[in-house]
Amino acid sequence: MSRAMLVFAALATAASGVPRPAPAWRNPSWLNAEKPITLESQRGRVVLLNFWVFTCYNCTNTVPSLVDFDSKYRDQGLTLIGIHTPEFPPYSGEHDKGNVQRALERYHIRYPNAQDNDSKTWDLYGIRAWPSFVLIDKKGRIRYEGAGEFHVGDATYQLWESRIRELLAEQ
Amino acid sequence: MSRWRQWARLGALSLALTGCGREPAAPTPPLALRVESAGTETRLFLVAAPGWKINARLKPALEIPNGDVVRFDAARLTPDSAYFAEAPSAAIPGGSRAVSGTLRASVCAAGELVCRAVTMKVRVET
Repeated sequence: MSRAMLVFAALATAASGVPRPAPAWRNPSWLNAEKPITLESQRGRVVLLNFWVFTCYNCTNTVPSLVDFDSKYRDQGLTLIGIHTPEFPPYSGEHDKGNVQRALERYHIRYPNAQDNDSKTWDLYGIRAWPSFVLIDKKGRIRYEGAGEFHVGDATYQLWESRIRELLAEQ
Repeated sequence: MSRWRQWARLGALSLALTGCGREPAAPTPPLALRVESAGTETRLFLVAAPGWKINARLKPALEIPNGDVVRFDAARLTPDSAYFAEAPSAAIPGGSRAVSGTLRASVCAAGELVCRAVTMKVRVET
């Protein structure tokens, strides 16, 4: 499906309120995971995708909230996945796996992260800015999307937390 | 900055917005290039439009067709070290009187709390 069609599909979903199936990512390189994590393997769990990059201040400012969600809800069925998508070409260092690993350690990130060096997953989801979030329900459908920095306890944090709880409560 | 003669060569600057990276093209680019010359040296300054900030964690870059990449930098940053507090600059390499290439920057609009990648084709003649 082309990017234009995906964007159209997103708009159509937003207009109709009908959740659309989350597209399957195919990132080969992962950190904090023994093997690549697939969407299919997460059926029955709620998945929060965080599109980020370590050079983005808004992204790293949001990480404590995501670490908090992971700590509170992983055992209840939430899988948090970072999709690390560089802004610049490789000369920026954003593509380097060692640099990403150091960022994970610096920000105490223990949830899985995919390297999205070719931006395929970014394009697949029609993402426009860093950080962005996609919340997928237990049936593999996109239920909520959004972008922008937030902090532990603020209104946006509470909104995302309420959405996570809502989807975790579903059968 | 005082050592640079203050003749911004905007009239000799051709700058075309070819798309804001991962964003649809904005009606006006959030960035502008200012050119200042002193003797044989020419320096480019990257100026953010009002309400926009330039990410200092990812220094703006000018990719030149020969493969070289020139990075912009500035001494003054915001207190959180995240953004430039003054226009970052870069010297045109080799004292060249003309340069063209692809300019990349990571920018943030006030109140948006996100980063956006901007890519522009530029041509500068001094």
